[in-house]
Amino acid sequence: MRNSGRMSGALRTTVVLAFSLPFLVLVLQAFADSWTAPSLIPQEFGLRGFRDGFAGGGAGVALTRSLLVAFVVTAVSLLLAWPAARVIGERRLRHPGPVVLLLAVPILISPFAIGTGMTGWFVRLGLTDSVAGLVLAHIVFSLPYAVLVLSTGFSRRLRLSEEMASSMGIGPWRRLLMVTLPETRPTLALAALMAFLVSWGQYGSSLAISGGSPTLPVVLLPFIGSDFEVAAALSLLFLVPAVLALAAANRAGRVR
Amino acid sequence: MIVGPSGAGKTTLLRSIAGLEDLDRGSISLGGKRIDALPAHRRGCAVVFQEPRLLDHLDLLDNVAISLVAQRTPRKERRSRARELIEEVGLGEFAGGGVKGLSGGEQQRAALARALCAEPELLLLDEPLSAVDPNRRSSLMDLILQLQEDRGVTTVSVTHDRAEAAEMGQVIALLIAGTILQSDDPESMFRRPQTERTARFFGLNLIHGMVKDGHLAFEGSEIAVEGPDGEVTLSIRPEAVVIGDGGQVEMTAIEAVYLGTHVRVILKGEQSVLEAHVQAEVSPAVGSKVGVSLPEPQLWRIPAG
Repeated sequence: MRNSGRMSGALRTTVVLAFSLPFLVLVLQAFADSWTAPSLIPQEFGLRGFRDGFAGGGAGVALTRSLLVAFVVTAVSLLLAWPAARVIGERRLRHPGPVVLLLAVPILISPFAIGTGMTGWFVRLGLTDSVAGLVLAHIVFSLPYAVLVLSTGFSRRLRLSEEMASSMGIGPWRRLLMVTLPETRPTLALAALMAFLVSWGQYGSSLAISGGSPTLPVVLLPFIGSDFEVAAALSLLFLVPAVLALAAANRAGRVR
Repeated sequence: MIVGPSGAGKTTLLRSIAGLEDLDRGSISLGGKRIDALPAHRRGCAVVFQEPRLLDHLDLLDNVAISLVAQRTPRKERRSRARELIEEVGLGEFAGGGVKGLSGGEQQRAALARALCAEPELLLLDEPLSAVDPNRRSSLMDLILQLQEDRGVTTVSVTHDRAEAAEMGQVIALLIAGTILQSDDPESMFRRPQTERTARFFGLNLIHGMVKDGHLAFEGSEIAVEGPDGEVTLSIRPEAVVIGDGGQVEMTAIEAVYLGTHVRVILKGEQSVLEAHVQAEVSPAVGSKVGVSLPEPQLWRIPAG
């Protein structure tokens, strides 16, 4: 027993290192004003990466824009996904296969193909370089995830609970608050997280639709080829909302 | 009490009254008021479903008090009223806890308390005993009857079990294929059916024939029949069929099944087959010829039509 305990301890250390070392490199890189080979740690620490990212790259505006777009995309995706997910989850369709397939098409075929097709139309409709255009483009990718995840939260059981509430004199709004939302909370939290992260991480569609008023990933990516320190600093910045979203979803989805 | 075979439309009827099912035609009135245009939550009908349908994210008290939330009753009062009802249904010891650890029977008691907490004008019970362990059924049934009596709440209950219907119902309505065939007190339903289908559902024997001069030929003997001559269907309960020496007619016992409380004997004659329920001591051997009597007061002539 003792032996296996030590083995699992070693395994644990390996796993922790495997996951944390690359991240540690990213943190070091973000604050490395000077880091030349063969040195294992930077010679000089500083905030140049953040300064340059915000000053020249316009990371501040891009961060705000990304956040705004991601929040709107999350809200709209959940609202649009809700009815579809409900019909699929409660197995009210005789042939759900084709419907699910159609809904999932945007995440099944190449994002490049979709982006190319979308760009032309966005130009024609005058939706380029606007928050509305970004929201619309991101929803194409986040909606399928939201529908697929959310549909697992609806079941016959939920409908039975809602019927019970109706027969107890509880009206539609209160029923939503007292029965439907609490009963679907874990999947709702997960669907919101998926929608948020899909929007947050969008690069191709954001670049194609809104190169003039970019999101954070669009600002970040060119620096990978030119300035590691700025790229690492912006990557750290990029991580913060994503990690916060993950933590919030985890907390909201916890079942008592 | 609505009774009928599976698929007769019992649950649909109950759900329509509650507003959980749309009507194709017809109307529903409760206490002289039309309610069929109202949504379910405004009808004042509380349903106890086949399954308890308790909410896992609420504790037992909040589950029972759920209707009071809609009435904006303060939380403290809600919980104290729920506590009283939980005591009444015999779940007092669980009042502080959740609902996940409760057994099926306990959950159904909680569902009953929840429905009563709503103080409905009409209480609807949809086979409330069907998901409960057979040994616990009678105590839950007693509880339902007791609460109904104490509170004087009008109740419509559906079941496929005719014995349950007899025990629980003041009035039994037989529903077959969406139509109420007969509605009467339990004894009338069991002893004086108005149609052959009613008789069959309640397990009566049927004897068909022609009455001539007030008599019906039956297995070489004659039965006196009141009423006009002509085609007739008589019915008699299996418990009323007497087996023993000195019977009116002779029939062969072709089956005898011991059922715990009695023996079900199938008797075959020249023209007819009868079912008799007798005590084990007088049960004939299978294949033997036995005397059979049909006591006249127990025979019921099913009205023509």
